[in-house]
Amino acid sequence: MSVITKQAGTSAAPAAKPGRRRFGAMTPPWLFAAPALLVYAVVVLYPSIAGVVYAFTDWSGIGGDMSFVGLSNFSAILHDDQALGSLGNTLLLTVAVVVVQNVVGLLLALGVNTKIKSRALLRVVFFSPVVVSPVMVAFLWKYIYNPDPSAGLNGLFGLHVDWLGDPSVALWSIAGMVVWQYAGYSMVIFLAGLEGVPRELHEAAMIDGAGTLQRFRYVTWPLLAPAVTINLMLSTIGGLKLFDQVFAATNGGPGYATETLSTVLYKQAFVYGKFGYSTAIALVLALFVAAVSFVQIYYLRSREVSQ
Amino acid sequence: MTRETDRLIEARISRSQFFRLMGGAATAALLTACSTRPSTGGTSGAGAGASVDLKFVGVADEKVPMEDLVAAYRQAKAGVSIATSYAPTDQVQTSLRTQLGAGNAPDLHVVYPGNGSAMSMAQIAGAGLLADLSSQAWTNTIPTGFKPAFQLQGKTYIYSAGSSVIGAIYNKKVFEKAGVDQPPTTWTEFLDVCEKIKKSGVTPIALGAQTPWVTQLITYALVPSTVYAKDPTFDDKQAAGQTSFAQSGWRDAMEMYLELQKRGYFNDKPNGTTYEQQTSMVATGKAGMAIQVSAVLQAFRDAATTPDDLSMFPLPGADDPAQVWIPAGVVVGLGASAKSKNVEEAKAFIDFLGKQENINRWAKAIAAIPLTQDAGSTIDPALESFLPLTKDRAVPFMDQRWPNAEVQPTHFAVIQDLLAGKIDIDGALKKMDEAYAK
Repeated sequence: MSVITKQAGTSAAPAAKPGRRRFGAMTPPWLFAAPALLVYAVVVLYPSIAGVVYAFTDWSGIGGDMSFVGLSNFSAILHDDQALGSLGNTLLLTVAVVVVQNVVGLLLALGVNTKIKSRALLRVVFFSPVVVSPVMVAFLWKYIYNPDPSAGLNGLFGLHVDWLGDPSVALWSIAGMVVWQYAGYSMVIFLAGLEGVPRELHEAAMIDGAGTLQRFRYVTWPLLAPAVTINLMLSTIGGLKLFDQVFAATNGGPGYATETLSTVLYKQAFVYGKFGYSTAIALVLALFVAAVSFVQIYYLRSREVSQ
Repeated sequence: MTRETDRLIEARISRSQFFRLMGGAATAALLTACSTRPSTGGTSGAGAGASVDLKFVGVADEKVPMEDLVAAYRQAKAGVSIATSYAPTDQVQTSLRTQLGAGNAPDLHVVYPGNGSAMSMAQIAGAGLLADLSSQAWTNTIPTGFKPAFQLQGKTYIYSAGSSVIGAIYNKKVFEKAGVDQPPTTWTEFLDVCEKIKKSGVTPIALGAQTPWVTQLITYALVPSTVYAKDPTFDDKQAAGQTSFAQSGWRDAMEMYLELQKRGYFNDKPNGTTYEQQTSMVATGKAGMAIQVSAVLQAFRDAATTPDDLSMFPLPGADDPAQVWIPAGVVVGLGASAKSKNVEEAKAFIDFLGKQENINRWAKAIAAIPLTQDAGSTIDPALESFLPLTKDRAVPFMDQRWPNAEVQPTHFAVIQDLLAGKIDIDGALKKMDEAYAK
């Protein structure tokens, strides 16, 4: 984009001033990055690799008793009803959250991008749930989802739904909670994308006689492609990994109706005492999320229009 | 480009502004770091020589007795201070296990008796993480029937003040208004009582099945009569593979559980109701009773405006009063971490707890039956109807004899599924048998 090249131009002034000695092998950029890389290696890389090793053992999570069991953890996943059932729940939840959250976020962004007087306040209001801890959101929504007909949502709309206790509704209730929290996040990214659409293009389209919907479809939407890519990727990854809200709201219940892969792997590790097996599930989940993300980014990048 | 974005791009921060910003951020970070030092539960020893700081992590049920006894210990031994923290059952089981796995276990922590859950004595002692308490005097007075709950391979690893029972915590006023003057002693009488309460316009039984550990209580209250009254050696036979959940009176217990639901004796939507809501319903008279552990009687009393309205009776799981058995299990207790730096001090505290007057104090605080009794022991009047049964018609809570930590959560989940109509009793028992075999 023209603006970014202007910035890059000013900062890319010749770095080697005359009279300054060059360092040896270590160039300054690496020196600056080294502390962060070190923290990353210790906090992220080492545990991940150690985790991969545990996936091939039968460690219980406590004590020193551990023996290598090869690939038997992975073959056990294929026979585990709870894990396979939760895979279905995870996919359903992800699709629901991705679609609804991004549609709502886009509509909010389009609404806030107009000339209404309270747009600054509205941006803050819609974004504020994002900064609340997911566990707090789940606890708050447990009150809102109270099945008592005189309380919460039921009381407000005169309904008799058992939001978190009815197995056919519970998963969608959780999806609703997640959308409520993160629609503002999608909105902010879409807003940034909308501000990147040149006003002249809109004016040109209006002169050509395009209505609002047509302008959206032919001008705004194609230029929003980068924002759409980011939003779809983030919400997909977030949805596939979803844990906090499910755990705090229903703990996977009623029965197994809201178990996701993350809650299953948590229970295997810390409730059933099968740490090795749980790490195997975690590894499978990580590879699955990586695969989905790669496919997504490949497809979406090819759609993007460069200015 | 809009005007706003133009302005943002043109913005530059001068060097002095940058340093002020960083300075402010650093000060804020420093202040936050200093203010979030964890607050200790007790005062550190008044500078007297070597003061020892012990850390205790417990379950919410233990808070009242522990706070009382920690304060008493500080009087008894000035150099030792114990910092306490508590969490609800589901959370403490998993968070403590994580700490144990990472090697950060507190010096003293909650331990559940017997086997069958993530923080049960057999699982943690089996991994070598609990200190052996067998040399302490009180361990010689553990009644024989309770030994499996306290001991692994003959050594004692857990301290517990006594036993609690599972029965119906009921609101006497609601019963009176419905025309019930005596608690029921047979299953048929129990159904009649529920019918009367229902006719008087009040929910007979409050069931908070959204909280996982509540789901098991009705089964636990019925199984002693339907399984152990007929065959007291059921656990041994099951461990030897000679019988299973599906082939036993567990089926009858689950049928009775669902019978209560079919007749409309539970609150609407039990799977959406929590333990806290269940407690408040009975305490405020919106429900007649809740099947619960006697250890939470105090919580019910705290939620009631007139605590004396609450009492308990055994849930009769049979039609012959002589065949009614009850679940009476050792209450959750604590153990000392074998890997702690202060393990001798931690064990000394447990020895203090083992004194008869402290056993009495603990048991009184949670309405439990003390482990060993003397003239100073008091038993909550609400438990009086259970005492005759505790002699020879009581069975420990079933999970204490299960071989792994997966059967209990499976039980929770299948009960929720049964209440929602998603599974039938055959399917439920099959799942439990599968989990037992793991």
